[in-house]
Amino acid sequence: MKREHEDAGRMGGDDPMNMGPEIAKGKMVPVMRTGDEMECGVDELLAALGYKVRASDMADVAQKLAQLEVAMSSDDASHLPQIAADTVHYDPSDLYAWLDSMLSELNAPPCAQLLPPTATASRGNGHSSTAAKPSAAAPPRASALHDFKPVVSAASVGRVVCDTEQQSEKILSPRDPKRMRTCSSSSSSSSAKEVASSLKSATEALPVVVVDTQETGVRLVHALLASAEAVQQENLKAADALLKQISMLAASQSGPMRKVAGYFAEALARRIYRHSPLPQADRVALDLLHSHFYESAPYLKFAHFTANQAILEAFTGFRQVHVIDFGLKQGMQWPALLQALALRPGGPPSFRLTGIGPPQPDNSDALQEVGWKLSMLAESIGIDFHFRGFVASSLADLEPQMLLEPEGKRRDRDGVEEAVAVNSVMELHQLLARPGAMEKVLGTVRALRPRIVTVVEEEANHNGRTFLERFTEALHYYSSMFDSLENGGDSGADGELEEQQRHRAMADAYLGRQICNVVASEGTDRTERHETLGRWRGRMAQAGFEPVHLGSNAFKQASMLLALYAGGDGFRVEEAEGCLTLGWHTRPLIATSAWRVGPAADFAL
Amino acid sequence: MMMLLLPHREEEEEGGAAGRRRFPINDNADLLAEVLGRLDGRSLAVAGCVCRLWSAVGRREAVWEAVCHRHVAVGRAGAAGGTRSVVAALGGYRRLYRLCIGPALDRLAGVRRQGPAVSSSSSAARHVSLSLALSLFSIDCYERLGGVGGRQQQPPASLLFLCKPVDVS
Repeated sequence: MKREHEDAGRMGGDDPMNMGPEIAKGKMVPVMRTGDEMECGVDELLAALGYKVRASDMADVAQKLAQLEVAMSSDDASHLPQIAADTVHYDPSDLYAWLDSMLSELNAPPCAQLLPPTATASRGNGHSSTAAKPSAAAPPRASALHDFKPVVSAASVGRVVCDTEQQSEKILSPRDPKRMRTCSSSSSSSSAKEVASSLKSATEALPVVVVDTQETGVRLVHALLASAEAVQQENLKAADALLKQISMLAASQSGPMRKVAGYFAEALARRIYRHSPLPQADRVALDLLHSHFYESAPYLKFAHFTANQAILEAFTGFRQVHVIDFGLKQGMQWPALLQALALRPGGPPSFRLTGIGPPQPDNSDALQEVGWKLSMLAESIGIDFHFRGFVASSLADLEPQMLLEPEGKRRDRDGVEEAVAVNSVMELHQLLARPGAMEKVLGTVRALRPRIVTVVEEEANHNGRTFLERFTEALHYYSSMFDSLENGGDSGADGELEEQQRHRAMADAYLGRQICNVVASEGTDRTERHETLGRWRGRMAQAGFEPVHLGSNAFKQASMLLALYAGGDGFRVEEAEGCLTLGWHTRPLIATSAWRVGPAADFAL
Repeated sequence: MMMLLLPHREEEEEGGAAGRRRFPINDNADLLAEVLGRLDGRSLAVAGCVCRLWSAVGRREAVWEAVCHRHVAVGRAGAAGGTRSVVAALGGYRRLYRLCIGPALDRLAGVRRQGPAVSSSSSAARHVSLSLALSLFSIDCYERLGGVGGRQQQPPASLLFLCKPVDVS
């Protein structure tokens, strides 16, 4: 019994499941745009009800349903491969790819109106719900939906989690398919429409089954994004309602997704209720969190090793060297450089370090302590070491004369000036919070005439114009980050040392603070203004610097370092136009670049 | 008592004086050191449990230096003398092996064991270089330095990422 599309059109409003079981071939049924009057009429009717679907798609739905019915009722597994071949498979352990696919589908530009015919997620303003049952059930309930503007989400359709071999995982969860919520949709009807159109992107996801955690995970991400959008539109009531849903959904997740959701929910709550921003005063605690982050993830080590390699190469041949560190913290970068300088052919130079740090609340001189420790190490390995600490609440307060010796740069016995290196690990982005600060600091750096400037920054765009843009980017970035901490960290399967767990928890808190800053703060408080490598390149070029390629030595050393981490091939070191990036799977997360003063930029200060 | 037997063609013919030569290795500590220096780290540590002499010889820096150099890829031919003094200052070759090189080699061997699923590009990076090991070692040494005035210090943890859970070294 061959079913015609006209039939489907005629039966548009009825339950297409009445169609008899039919074993269709495993290929997509294209949407037939017949000029059938009946079809257009039905379409308009449905559209008037707010249901953005075309009757011709119902045929597709029905076909797939029929297939599924047959497959599930019979014990013969021969049908399943065909169905599975039609579906899009997602690997549940690859959190990033899954999230990425969802978000890209959400944000995809509107294109051919091929609608995914099955499980729908209604996403109007202020609520999100996911249908477990395929949308064949939707038309009969179209009447019940007239309060909302349901939006079909391509991304939230259930996915076949397993491949054809593990058919046992197929669960069709017939429980509570839709969660209906009424809420005032007037204010954001326009945005709902635009989101609707963006969601109707062409996709070949013809899902067949839905698995529980995937569904709640999907709902969770949708709730987060919906809440962020509500916040952007100042619809705080709706955002708040979503937050409750988010926290409930987050409890059902595990691992990195749960943590990410938790931190983002907390940050959103802070933003909604205008809680005071996290206290900035506790530098000691911040340093502690930072050092734990250093231990538990390779990002900072990568940053230090690659920057050190660039500095080492820039210092070849100089007998007096001076490093200016824009964020000394615990000074963990410098022992390795000292050791490398001690072992360089030709013997070690005379080394001066200028460390800059924020003011401490209890007036203790953390910088001097770090300097003292470094000098002890340097003395033991035979390096002539000098240290100077500078307390500055912002880098923009520095002047070049302050940083150099009172009498300018040191000169060695041949009259050669000392080589200066400026090192900034994740410090520059904070300057973007205040207008003019970045230009001033880059001018100061240029005035020092350094041999090399090493810049390490997070590779993300958290400084977009709109809140939703920043939120979405941050969700992307921190999901990858948490994922890498969880899976790239040490031997999650073998059980971890208690200490490692403590480090992990602190590292999570460190990232949580960043999330809070990106999401909940505004204006000068929002210091975590990460930008992408491309933008930093532009900025540095504008300030008169030209790039220095990080050599293959840096790349090799970084690769070797990453090979030692238990995460295996999850971490990726990549080279991009002379800069090195470290990322988790396909997503770069941190980027190191090196610069020197360009020839044309001889501005006298 | 360990004996080092030298092959001797005329074993049966010669009588007493020109019989099979026996070298009790314990009589010659330097020879013992030479032999032990050709072991890998784990075997050397085990050898140190044999007797007091072996334990003492097995702790010699020269022995561990030989072991370290055997297992790492030395990039450029650095000044060997300079390396020795720096490593001594940081804590010695034995400690270097125990903290950095040994765990790193174990980690890489474990990865290799997991199968040839690793991409060819990263396989080139699957060895430890001396400079990397020394960098990690220096960081660890730095962490162990006490602060001024005996402030409560965090236990050194920068090498934890190399540790296996059961390793409580």
